[in-house]
This record gives sequence, C-alpha cells and structure tokens, in this order.
Amino acid sequence: MVRYIIRRIIGMFVLLALVSAATFVMFYALPTADPAVLRAGRQGTPELIAQIRRSLGLDDPLYVQYWTYMKAVVLHFDFGFSYETNESVRDAILSRLPATISLTAGALVVWLAVALPVGTISAIKRRSLLDRITMGGALLAISAPVYWLGLVTLYLFAKDVGTFGIFPGPNTYVGITRDPSGWFGSLLLPWLVLAAGFAAFYARLLRSNLVEVMGEDYIRTARAKGLPERRVIWHHGVRAAITPIATVLGLDIGMLLGGAILTESVFNIPGVGRYAFDAIGSADLPAIQGTVLFAAFFVIVANLLVDIAYAFIDPRVRYS
Amino acid sequence: MSPVVPAVDADALALGDAIAARSPLELFWRRLREDRVALAALTFIALLVLMAILAPLVVKLLGAPPPTERSTAALDPPFGSPTGPSSVHVFGVDTLGRDVFSRMVYGARVSLVVAVVATGSAVVAGVVVGMLAAYYGGWVDTIISRTLDMLLAFPILLLGLGLASACSLGDGCLGVIRPGLPVVIVVIAIATFPYIARIIRGQVLSLREKEFIEAARSLGASDRRIIFRQILPNLVAPIIVYATLVLPQNILFEAALSFLGVGVQPPQASWGQMIADASRSFDAWWLMFFPGIALVLTVLAFNLVGDGLQDALDPKARA
Amino acid sequence: MTALRAATSRRHPPRRFAVVGCVALLALALGACGGNPDDASTPTASDGYGTALPSGDQKRGGTLKLLSAEGFSHMDPGAVNFQLDFMVTYATQRGLYYRRPGDPTTPVPDLADGQPVVSADNRTVRVKLKRGIRYGTNEKTAVTGREVTAADVKYAFERGYNPSVANGYLPTYFPLAGSQHADGGEISGITTPDDHMIEFELSKPFAATTTRALVMPITIPVPKSYAAPFDAKQPNVYEADPERQAFTGPYMIQSYEAGKSMTLVRNPQWDPDTDIRPAYLDRIEWTLNVDPSIAGRQIFSGSRLANGDTPVPGTVKRFATQAKDRISFTPLGNRFVAINTQRRPFSDLNVRKAFAAALDRRAMQLQRGGVLIGDVASHFLPPTIPGFREAGGFAGTGVDYLAKPEGDPAVAARYMRRAGFASGKANGPSVLVFGSNDSPAKEIAEVIRDALDSLGFDVTLRLLDQATLYTKFCNVESQLRKIDVCGSFGWLPDFIDPYAMLNSNFSGNAILPVNNTNASLFDDQQVNAAIEKGALISDKEQRARAWGQIDKQLVEKVAAIPYLWDKVANIVSKDVHGVIARWNASWDLAYMSLK
Repeated sequence: MVRYIIRRIIGMFVLLALVSAATFVMFYALPTADPAVLRAGRQGTPELIAQIRRSLGLDDPLYVQYWTYMKAVVLHFDFGFSYETNESVRDAILSRLPATISLTAGALVVWLAVALPVGTISAIKRRSLLDRITMGGALLAISAPVYWLGLVTLYLFAKDVGTFGIFPGPNTYVGITRDPSGWFGSLLLPWLVLAAGFAAFYARLLRSNLVEVMGEDYIRTARAKGLPERRVIWHHGVRAAITPIATVLGLDIGMLLGGAILTESVFNIPGVGRYAFDAIGSADLPAIQGTVLFAAFFVIVANLLVDIAYAFIDPRVRYS
Repeated sequence: MSPVVPAVDADALALGDAIAARSPLELFWRRLREDRVALAALTFIALLVLMAILAPLVVKLLGAPPPTERSTAALDPPFGSPTGPSSVHVFGVDTLGRDVFSRMVYGARVSLVVAVVATGSAVVAGVVVGMLAAYYGGWVDTIISRTLDMLLAFPILLLGLGLASACSLGDGCLGVIRPGLPVVIVVIAIATFPYIARIIRGQVLSLREKEFIEAARSLGASDRRIIFRQILPNLVAPIIVYATLVLPQNILFEAALSFLGVGVQPPQASWGQMIADASRSFDAWWLMFFPGIALVLTVLAFNLVGDGLQDALDPKARA
Repeated sequence: MTALRAATSRRHPPRRFAVVGCVALLALALGACGGNPDDASTPTASDGYGTALPSGDQKRGGTLKLLSAEGFSHMDPGAVNFQLDFMVTYATQRGLYYRRPGDPTTPVPDLADGQPVVSADNRTVRVKLKRGIRYGTNEKTAVTGREVTAADVKYAFERGYNPSVANGYLPTYFPLAGSQHADGGEISGITTPDDHMIEFELSKPFAATTTRALVMPITIPVPKSYAAPFDAKQPNVYEADPERQAFTGPYMIQSYEAGKSMTLVRNPQWDPDTDIRPAYLDRIEWTLNVDPSIAGRQIFSGSRLANGDTPVPGTVKRFATQAKDRISFTPLGNRFVAINTQRRPFSDLNVRKAFAAALDRRAMQLQRGGVLIGDVASHFLPPTIPGFREAGGFAGTGVDYLAKPEGDPAVAARYMRRAGFASGKANGPSVLVFGSNDSPAKEIAEVIRDALDSLGFDVTLRLLDQATLYTKFCNVESQLRKIDVCGSFGWLPDFIDPYAMLNSNFSGNAILPVNNTNASLFDDQQVNAAIEKGALISDKEQRARAWGQIDKQLVEKVAAIPYLWDKVANIVSKDVHGVIARWNASWDLAYMSLK
C-alpha cells in the first residue's frame, strides 16, 4: 500500500515537471511583450535594453531558462515576477486564492445539496412527472454556457444594473475577513450560477448510477429479506452509486481550484482564474506559467487522492 | 466536468447473429424511432444545419442586412451605443452597428462546423491512440499514457487559451494552424481527445482478455484482422456514446473560447463572441439574449439526441 | 500596462477612451482652447457640463479620495512622464516653471524667479531661482528644512542620465553641451554661477524649445548629497520608496504601497507665500487598482471622491445624462492611424490619400464613445496647441480627402485611379494591419479594415494585447518595416507646444530601432527641415504660424490619417470642487477643495 502511494507521488512530480516543461515551450511561442523594453522605459537605448535582457536571462537558450525557472520554483517557491506589474507571481496567486476557494467551496455546497436529493428522488420515482421535470431542467442547465447564465442573472438580479435588483452586482467581492456579510452577498449569484451546471450533471449522474444499482441482484435480495425500502435505498443503493460520484467530485474540485475562469470573469471576482485569464491576455509569461503550474498541481493532486482512495476501497487496483 | 460513460453491454453486441430474432442494430433503430423527444431534437438540428448551409439565402430572403455591414445610423448618438430590436434590425445591432440576426444565422455555421469537425477529429485521434496504447502495451502504452495524463492535467481552458493565443500570430503554428477557425478546431480536438483515448484504452484492455479474442488468435487471425473484425465493432457503442456526450460540450467550449477572445477572428461571427460583446455593453440585452438562446437550444438538442442514442443502445442504463 | 506607459511616453493609456470638453471654457472665453469662439467644436457637446476651474470661494481643509484603475508608472520626478504620475509629482514637488490650471500654454515661475533669460545666439538659458524654498521630508534628515539651491537643479538634470533614473525626454528637449556620454556624472553644460542662478549651455541654438520645456519635472531639484547614494541603486530610492524623497511642493508622499494605495499630507516646510498654489486640501488618499466600473459608481453616489484615471464609457454616460455638472471634458491629445510610408502600396501618396478618403472617421469617433469623447480630426495639432488655428482649426486644412468625416468613396476612387488602378480599386494586394485587441481599439480596427476592403485590398488583421503590440511590433523599427498599418496610435504632448506634439511622431530624425514612436516611418526631408527650424522659433505667433504650416504639410503628405482630437473626462462626487490642470487634462490637486 505504502509502495503504491509512493509510486503515485513520484509520478505526480514527474507529471508536474512535464506540465511545466510543456507550458514553457508552448508559451515561448507566444508573441509576448518584450519585458526588457517595458522595463527600460522610454529612454530605452539599445544598450540599456540589452543590459536588462541579460539580467533577466532572456538571451539564454530555452533549456537554461527553464532550468533556472524550475530551480527557483522548487528551491525557493519563487515563481518570478510579473512582466506587467512587477509583482511577485507567487504573492499574486496566493492573495487571489481565498477568492477562488470561497467560490469553489460555496458552489460545492450548493450543488451537492441540490444534486444528491434530486438525483436520488428522481431515480426512485423514475418516469414520474417529477422525474421528467427535474431531469428536463437538469438537461437545460447543462446546455447553457455558464458565462451566459451569469450575464443573464446579472442582468436580471444585480442591484445596480439589473432589472430586479436583489443581489449585489459584479465587482463587489470583498474578503470574508473584511466584511463577512458583503462577502456572502457578493458570492450568492456566482455560487448559484456556477453550481447550476454541476448540480444538473451530478443529479443526472447519480440518477443513472442509482437506477443501474437498483437493478442489481443484491438489491432484490435485500428486499426479499424484508428490509424496509428506505434502508434498501440508502444503505445499499445510494452507497454503491456514490462511489463514481466521489471520483468525479474529486476531479472537479481539483479543476475548480485552478480557477473558474468564466465565472470569475463575468462576476469580476479577483480569483486565480481571473488572474490567469488576464495574464494570457497581456502575454505576461511568468504569470501564465505560475497559474498553469498552480492549476495543474491541484488537478494532479486531486487525481492522486482519488486514486489512493480507490486503492483503499479496491485492493486490486494497487497491483495494476 | 469529466464525462462518465455508463456501462454498455459489449458481450451482448459481440455475440452477433447468435440468438436474437432481430439484430441489435434493428433493435437500436426501433428504440430510437420511438423516442419522440430525440426525434424532435434531431429535426431541430437538421433544420439548423440547413439554415447554416443556406445562410446567405436565409438572410437575403428575410430581408436582413449582411452580417458584416456596419450601420452607423443604428448607433445611438451621442454615445454611439447600439440600438435594440427595431423594424429594420429584428434582433438589434451590435457595438459596430452590425445586424444581430444575420450574425446569428452565420454564427450557426461556426458552432456546427467546429462541433462536428473538432469532435470528429478528437474521436478519430482518441480511438487510434487508445487502441495503439492498449493493443501493443509495454513501453508504447507507457509513453502514450503519460502523455495523455499530462494533457489531462492541464487545465483545459488555459490550455485552449494558450494554444489559441500562441498560434494566433503570423502564420500560426507549423504554418498550417492558422488563426481563427482552424486554431479553434485543433485546440478543441487536442483538449478533448485524451478523454476518449483513455476510455477506448480501457475498453480495449478489457476486451483483449476476453475469450473470443484468444480464440481468434489461436485460429491464426492476424493482428489487423483482430483489430478490425473483433475489437472495433465492440467499440462502436462507447464511441457513439462518447461522441454524443462531447459534441455539445465542444459547442460550449468554442463559445467559451470566443467569449474569452481567442475564437474566430472578426468580422466572422460566432455566438460566443456576440455574448462577449454583450458583457461589455450591459444595456444591450439583445446582444446577450438572442445568441445565448441559440446556444442553449442547439446544445440542448444535441444533448437530447445524445440521450436518445444512449437509451436506444442500452435501455437498461436509463430505465 | 503601467510600465508600458513609461516606454511609450505619454501615449494614450490603453483601454480607456478619453473624453474631453474644452467647450465649457469657451463660454468663459479664457482663450485656453484655441481661443476663438468662432472655432467652436462642431458637435454641441458642452452645455451644462462641469467647468472645473478655480474660484475665489473655495474652502480649506478636508480629505479627498481618488480612485484609480491603474497604478503609477513612475514615482521618481526624474523619470516621470505619464498623466497619472504628473498629478502626484506636481502636488509634491516644484519645478522651475508651473502652469495655472486654466492656462496651459503660459509658464509661470515656480522655483524660478522670473522668466528665463536667453542669450542672443539662443544657445544659453539662464534662470534665477527664488530664495527661501525649503525641503520637507517625512523623517528628519540632513536636508530637512534646507534651502533649495541651483546645484540641486543641476544634479536633477545630471541624474536623469543615470540608468537607475533613465529619463526619457532629456535629449529631445535639453540638448545640453557635454551630455554626449553622460551617465549620471557631471555635465559641463550646466553651470551654477551662484547658489540661486543656473545656466544651461546647449549644443545647438535650441533655446526656443528648451525654455518651453522648463515646465517638465526634470527641473525638480534633487539634493545631491542626499540622493546620490540612492541613485547608485537599481531601482533608485526616489522610485522605490518615494516617501523618502525630499519634497518641495505643498504636499508630501506620506505612504505608498505599490499597486494598492498612496497618501499625501501637507508639507510643513512649504511656504505658501512663495507659491501661487492655494493647497486647500489637508490630505489626499489614493486607492489604486479599483475596478473602473465600481469606481465610477462610487464617485457617482459617494462623497469626497474623484477619479484618478479615465472613467469607462458606462460611467461617462451615466454622469453625462444624470450629473452633468460633475463631469468635465478637457481636450488634450490626438489619435491617428499610422501608415507605412516606405513600402508599397502606401508609399504611393495617392494610395494614402485614397485610404484617408475611404476611412469613416465618424464611425471611429462613435466607437470611442461619440461626440463627447472627441472631435473628428482633420489634422494633427489638437485644439489646445498653438498652431491649431493656423493649420485650419476645426474647418480643416482644405484637402478633399479629409473633407467628409464619414469618408468619401468617390474621392477615394479618384485617387486610386491616379495611383494607377484603373477601376478605382486595387485587386487584391495583401495589406497587414495591426491593432490592439481591447475595445474600442478592436472595433476601430474593423472600421479600418472596412475602408481597406472597400479599396479592394486583401486585409490581414492581427489583434494583440497592448503591451505586445507596442513593445514587439508597432514601436519596433524592424517590425514596422513589414507592417502596413498600425491602427491604434495617438499622442499626448509632453507640454503644450507643437514641437512636443509632432516631433516624435513625424520627424525622420526621430526614428529609432526600439521605442520608435514614428510608426509611419515618415521621413520627408522638407518636413524634417521644417521641424528642425520650427523648434528654434521663439516668438509665439511666428512659432504658431510655422507649426501650423508643418501640420498642413503633414496632412498634404498624409504622414498618417488623423481621426480624433481627444477629450479627457473627469468626474467628482457632489461635495468636491474639482479643478483641472488643462495641460494635463487631470486634476490639479493643489487647487482642489471640498465643498
């Protein structure tokens, strides 16, 4: 067991190294702004610019730049400085992490709170009117782009720009420590919008898994043994149907922690996703590399945790 | 959201003509025919495709201005803001004064082309790669699997944004992947093929161990024969299921890339791009509403067809 | 983006459009906007909007808060060259000459005592300094309370050549003798006959322009004994820890957190009797990196607030419709489309004229925000710059290809035929256009594309982010040689003078390998010579006339296609009396007050 875990962890680091290398190469091709010129300022004599290029290591071959970068990351946890704002990329990401975590955690709570009961009830009362309506609604929710939903809800419900001003508008995010009620209010709409698609997906998933499980033989046996229906459903049915959901959940959380770019953009939440998007928009290489590594890290770790959990549940996995 | 494929009864399909009075294919068609919702969705899609192909005709017949024509008259002085639905412009105009209805009709082309071509390429690539990895095993499998892992670890949207940005300048990437539609298609294909590659690999791995493969091999069948005659037919079901899941997602993916600014180039119209315009001028609700509805309906239709196909393939899974 | 501004020296800030309205002033006939009411802006963009002028009944005291979307580009007066930075620099420091808020063209002695004295050969400029002006600092240092001397002004210039300061405009406006290989050390061309007298010796008879440039912040004194050790570091302390500067102005920078906030407090060493500025406010607090839409909303409904940088279109619209007296529009710069004049097809003057005629400049004005944002331009000097009227004013220079703001397809076709395209249209030669991918620059690029399409060219449009666009393409000479059109260009003058407005963009001698601001690669011997000569003219009217002629020539030779004379919008909340420094189209903090 321990060996399996160690193997997977080593694999994780290898993967991270590969991702960072790929990012480096890919964005090297990106026509980025010339940071030496940006820093040299207007006087920008060719000598000054060359001087800055040397100090930033921009004339070194690609692999040397990569090696310097990785050394800084691994040894000092230093992701360099943004070409645009000269701010430390690590500090920029860390300061934006709370916003992303707030968004993810809240949306998570909402979508699970909706998807689990809805999925279960729909499976139990399958083919009923209730089932058709909820599954229809779910289908609609996963067909709508999240940023469009966001815009529509803002248009309808945002306080200063919307028609029925109920919720605080975009750009109102504040940290929870500074103003808890403001924080909550500003995230309500984003939570609902972000959760909509996920809730729909998970409800459908749970329903289809549960329906399949309920058709299994051991369920029939349990019923034949005289167990009450509710116990059959909860203890045997849902428990079995939940496992694939847990897998997907882990992966989705990992993905969201890397930043929900679309939601953060529409609602102007200063999270990691927004930062990544802005960085790509201004061709800010160190910021791009930092955020990609960061997001990939969460996804890989989530994968790892899910795999380890599976190894606990199903011993056969360890030996594959 | 990671797609999950419900279990498909491969054995039943593999047994061929053995028992049933009707072939699985006939059963499949029958079940599909009876699914009215899926049929309705299919009709919608067919109409959409028709409209997209005949876009210039449609626009002309309905008397709308061409999609690239800027109308300064339609921009409200003194701020130059776009005007909403009117008799001349049924769905209003955008920030440059272009007719929203015409752009929507032409925008359908982009969504459909991207969806079909990108999904198709992803499926083909995924099947090939997945089969190679599973069938040959060993170090081939390791390399492929690690590469797939790496691609899967990349945050998809960032990967898409990055590739699209990187290939958006000059002659694009490798001279072939030019900015605009080609870049978007390639990006979406690259970002989504790892999923199916993984799934196919899993399926082939499990199939490889089945008795009928061993039997065929002991009878002296060549590798190629085994792949094409025995394995591929069993993959049809998961391929269809996967394609139907992913196609609507790819429509949304293209719209998201356009929304974030790296999709098709102006003046080509794309629904995602039109929605992005809307986010800048908040009063212009028509910019947000019409393309959005178009997107929702299209994706919904594809989802319904996908559901219908899955049901028809294996009614047990959805009961 | 902030660093980019330093690189581009008062290029228009990205992603904001500037809303300007000098029109309000016309009613008061202060004559600062090209003066003559007959020259009124054709669109009626003014009535009822704020005037933002000083008045006699302003109150003392209170704290004003400013909100900015962008951060500061530079804090060191020796390097500062950006609209936003100027607001702080001129509130906390004093240069040789100042300008009253309402009168952008007349230098008023600040540190100087009287007007500069110019030698007969125009190669020497002598300035007498006032006495009794002292340095204030946050912490007690060796220079606290010390009097400003001429040696401090001399050092201010010398450190401009130090790579850790890297001033961008010294060679352009101050061709000092002995500055050839300067790098922070002694410059022989600057001498101090006594403690309150400074003399500049120029390497050419450039005094006419140099005296006008004495308003620039390079003239702000920096005590050498105090700052020399700072300047040895990269970045220097004046830049990185601006709280440690030695301040001469009515306010001091008490605290500064890069990208977050800044606070200005009164300078105890500042003597109001030596300064024309009233300095009503007690304290100024600046919040940076505020989302512009939020800022706009807060200023609209809040109190004691004003904008730090340009408001976004939504905000402008709101104020212009619901709070007209709290928004003001000030003209400042121009915008134009740069064309590669050295490469086919645009090396042919007729093709350039056709392009100018085909361009719908009215649509471009609308895309930037309409009539309030600026007037459609027909030549390059904007309304506040001397020479504007001489070049034709609002009526234009009279050329047919710029006569109609919406464009004139018939005229375009005529020039295409003259260029040799018999049908009036080209047949597919490919044209490469670069632009910024921000709105409204993106939409402007579309209008440009339409114009070229209509002429029969096959347009390839490349949209990039601002920073890459300029640092890698449209400011780099080698790249410019391969690009046909750079869509998003414009200029804000360093000071209100036609040389500062036109030289960097249109003089062949201003073409540089990097940081090149002559994006058209325009190199016409006649114009180059006229520009060189024009810089040497001292007499105001002569200068205006000469530069009006140069402007006309630029239009006749289509060095670029002008399309807008920009206006900058500024907004305040209801209890703020805003005063705008017209030379900067931004607030003059030393004149603002609360109501």
